[in-house]
Amino acid sequence: MTPTVPLREESMLKPASTAASRVRHWLSGLPTSGRVGLALVVLWLVLGAAGPLLAPYDVGAFVSPEVFDSMSAQHWLGSDYLGRDVLSRLLSGAQYTVGLALASALLASATGAGLALTATVCPRWVDEVISRFMDTLISIPSKVFALVLVAAFGSSLTLLLLIAAATYTPGAFRIARALAINLNQMDYVQVAYARGEGRLYIAAAEIMPNMIHPVLADFGLRFVFIVLLLSGLSFLGLGVQPPNADLGSLVRENISGLGDGALAILAPAMAIATLTIGVNLLIDALPGRGRRITGGR
Amino acid sequence: MAHGSPRNRSGIAAAGRLILRRLGSALLTLLLVSLVVFTISALLPGDAAEETLGQSATPEAVAALRHQMGLDQPAHLRYVRWLGGMIKGDPGQSLVANMPVGQVIAGRLPNSLTLAGLTAAVAIPLALAIGILSALYRDTGLDRALNLMTLGMVAVPEFLVATIAVLVFSVTLRWLPSITVVREGIGWAEMLRGYAMPVMTLACVTVAQMARMTRAAVIDQLSRPYVEMALLKGLSPSRVVLVHVLPNAVAPIVNAMALSLSYLLGGAVIVETIFNYPGIASLMVNAVTSRDMPLLQACAMIFCVAYLLLMLAADVCAILANPRLRGQ
Amino acid sequence: MGGMLAAGLTAGGPAFGAGQDPALPQRGGRIRVAGMSSSTADTLDPAKGALSTDYARHYMFYSGLTRYRADLSAEPALAETLESDDRILWRAVLRTGVTFHDGKPLSPQDVVYSLMRHQDPATASKVRTIADQFRRVTVSGSNEVTIELTGPNADLPAILADSHFLIVQDGTADFRQAIGTGPYRCTSFQPGIATIAARNENYWVEGRPYLDGIELLGIPDEVSRVNALLSGDVHLVNAVNPRSARRIEASLGHRVLETKSGLYTNLIMRQDALPTRDPDFVLAMKFLFNRELVRRTLYRNYATIANDQPIPPGSPYYLADLPQRPYDPDRAGFHLRKAGLAGARLPVYASPAADGSVDMASMLQEFAAQAGLHLAVNRVPADGYWSTHWMKHPLGFGNTNPRPTADMLFSLFYKSDAPWNESGWRNEQFDQLLLAARGERDEARRRQMYGDMQVLVHDHCGVGIPVFISSLDGYDQRLKGLGSIPIGGLMGYSFAEHVWWEG
Repeated sequence: MTPTVPLREESMLKPASTAASRVRHWLSGLPTSGRVGLALVVLWLVLGAAGPLLAPYDVGAFVSPEVFDSMSAQHWLGSDYLGRDVLSRLLSGAQYTVGLALASALLASATGAGLALTATVCPRWVDEVISRFMDTLISIPSKVFALVLVAAFGSSLTLLLLIAAATYTPGAFRIARALAINLNQMDYVQVAYARGEGRLYIAAAEIMPNMIHPVLADFGLRFVFIVLLLSGLSFLGLGVQPPNADLGSLVRENISGLGDGALAILAPAMAIATLTIGVNLLIDALPGRGRRITGGR
Repeated sequence: MAHGSPRNRSGIAAAGRLILRRLGSALLTLLLVSLVVFTISALLPGDAAEETLGQSATPEAVAALRHQMGLDQPAHLRYVRWLGGMIKGDPGQSLVANMPVGQVIAGRLPNSLTLAGLTAAVAIPLALAIGILSALYRDTGLDRALNLMTLGMVAVPEFLVATIAVLVFSVTLRWLPSITVVREGIGWAEMLRGYAMPVMTLACVTVAQMARMTRAAVIDQLSRPYVEMALLKGLSPSRVVLVHVLPNAVAPIVNAMALSLSYLLGGAVIVETIFNYPGIASLMVNAVTSRDMPLLQACAMIFCVAYLLLMLAADVCAILANPRLRGQ
Repeated sequence: MGGMLAAGLTAGGPAFGAGQDPALPQRGGRIRVAGMSSSTADTLDPAKGALSTDYARHYMFYSGLTRYRADLSAEPALAETLESDDRILWRAVLRTGVTFHDGKPLSPQDVVYSLMRHQDPATASKVRTIADQFRRVTVSGSNEVTIELTGPNADLPAILADSHFLIVQDGTADFRQAIGTGPYRCTSFQPGIATIAARNENYWVEGRPYLDGIELLGIPDEVSRVNALLSGDVHLVNAVNPRSARRIEASLGHRVLETKSGLYTNLIMRQDALPTRDPDFVLAMKFLFNRELVRRTLYRNYATIANDQPIPPGSPYYLADLPQRPYDPDRAGFHLRKAGLAGARLPVYASPAADGSVDMASMLQEFAAQAGLHLAVNRVPADGYWSTHWMKHPLGFGNTNPRPTADMLFSLFYKSDAPWNESGWRNEQFDQLLLAARGERDEARRRQMYGDMQVLVHDHCGVGIPVFISSLDGYDQRLKGLGSIPIGGLMGYSFAEHVWWEG
């Protein structure tokens, strides 16, 4: 016989502790993998923010007479397919990849959660309208969607950001909606309704604080998906304007060096790998990891 | 199964109600998708006539071709006409390929379904195995190793995975063909060789997501009191997992799987490009670049229907597997 | 004697450049060939051919009145002779005993239909602007056709060797099948997937073609295309990226064939917009091209340095004495200051649609910054580039395929009223020279005129041409008889009737 246990988040019901103590507690409770993840994430955040300042050369400068040069004192990571410094391009690329992914993931998660709360506390038809719209968005293949929008509006950072955010909003919405609807059934929320609280208050004060944890974890996953989407888009020739390039474009533009094992392609590939693995390890180490209800895309 | 026949019947009835309810919203979603596709494609610079003529487009030639393609009519009229055709089941004539859209799609859709089917056949059992194993052995070395492995699979852009695979297995070892050629009367062995790398690449992309979801859902159930009770009653752990835990964990798992599978049709564009595989995702890209609106719409409809069907299948699965969802 | 074509056909041996073998060609064998494009727009209609894979397909199934030699002069094909006294009225005598794949004999009416259909807008011909010079094409004998032009043109034989003017059957409007007189019959054609060809046993050239069959694919992704060659899945590919050439050369059993051609990617400085119309700006940009760097890094030396004019060194009219314009940031800076543009900011449009233009733009940007001009590279998708961006921005890139004759190139791209006058420049002297050269009978004076036109373009035209890009084919060494016809890769797209297999 299968007992009927309602799906719920244990961690959501914990009382909120102060931020500082939570951080300390959290750090000490992190397993090794989580600390590795945290270190990688912090490393890439720093490189993303300060990368261009650390770069030894200009991102578009033709500094090496050799293409696909190997490691040297002048060029720590060798030269790329046109003889530019790989390290400088990598540092500049990190800024675009980390920045774009961060901004779009934030936008996607915030929009998704906001719409989910709206759908939960508003009348049923609102939920229906938002859900249909999200279904529409998710069923158009993201890369084709990006291709069309870039062809229509020209490639720009803002547009890439919006495309990535639009692609991952439906997924964030699905998860947040599932969480919010569950919470909406909880006694304390029903009590708030009975008290005659407004919808906005219930969404903001009763439901939101209790779903923030899984939504944050989901935000991390969105970040990873967006990094990979951006590198997928670079395959189709969409991305940051030259001479700048995001990490995915760096891999793509140097692909002909793959047969020779050129650093110009290995370095950005490793950068993407460490960034995404780092974020994943960190999320996995977050408390309440077993309970997360996550969805694809 | 432990369930008696009345339960099964109630499950089927619940599924039937669900299917009916979904049908209405599915039609609405399809209409929305066609409107969105129509709107954004109207924003695209140039039309099929200009793209067909390319560099040799002179105003006179463009005008003549537009007339021939029916593009000289107002956009909304073309949309209404297309919609009317769709209601009658006719997706129209491809503007560029000189044949009915149905025929163009018919040449590609089976390929995409084959690729998606084979990938699902590999990825789903693999993801379930990885997910269940790492849940059973959570926080052990095996769990961490499997976790790192699945993370590593998605951590590299798929075009790089595919290209490395081609370099190793086709160019260096010469075990597998570097492009997947679809042909009539091809033997099973030859076909499997051709599909090995595209399937592997797509599996890489999708397994991680499904495996992690499975792990999370199984762990969620394993911590429930009933599992402990079943174990105390002396049931073997594998029996507990298969008979008790999985049916309860099925809803989030099939949901994640349906999402991943929907990616296999539309998201396969990179794999289709690298292995030169004539599937429907690259056809859609093709329809965009040639501004072939009827073809583009048809592709969008197919992806939308596939997505909705997968979601429906996931929910039906969940209802049939888990009686307590039936009342909803 | 305005005509041409006295020479008969050489019977068997390949008459083309590299790869020649003393051994006699073998019959038999099947090969797989991969071109660079594949889409639902693939066509069996020669008039609609848009991309190299289309051209290669059409040369398999159809023959033209003439065909190219290795130096891009024309030799007889379906026309045994093609002669004219005034270069306006041309008389073509057709080869006898030629049959279409369905068994019908070739008739003059087929030729009339094949040439005149380009003027019908419904055909959507790619060469309508060229075909407009056919005033009249008439049957003038049982196996004779007369072509009357609107003005003198000595290049008609070379024009008719172009794949768009291949001969189809009278009245053909539906091109779901390919009924031509070419070396192969079409056994299967799926747009965007594959074309399968089988030897035409009744081909009009004795003993040809050699192969039993060809499967023509399109693999748009260059890395995949080269990998397919190296893994043995295909035996001939075109449009190899210079960066992949080393990999092919390093592979046992594979070779790269370089065809030096007139292909170029050029900077367009519109003469109807500011500041690009300023002659000082134009000169500055031309001095900013680091041609050596473009040739070495971007094209790995598979390119020839160009001199801001479109006639390549292989052409009989190439002006070798024209001093080479160097990379000179100081002079560029001087002209920029003279134009009052020091420190200015300008967008430049580039796209993967114009080969190498994105990287060229990045290079220009780098060197322009040193000379005090800030270029912002705008990379736009290949999708829609020609209709939306090409020639529409003050500063952008174009890409021009090789043309068989100097006249064609100048008429299509540099004449004031040319449809693709990319920079929109107007030079009366140039136009007069061009018209005069068409009718000029004295070869030395004609050469002089073409030389003068090159100087004018080099000095004044708003087009900067850094290098001529070689076209690179990769092939399996067991494939023999492959040579160069510099109209494009794959032996000027007509490899099918020349190659054989020693497997």
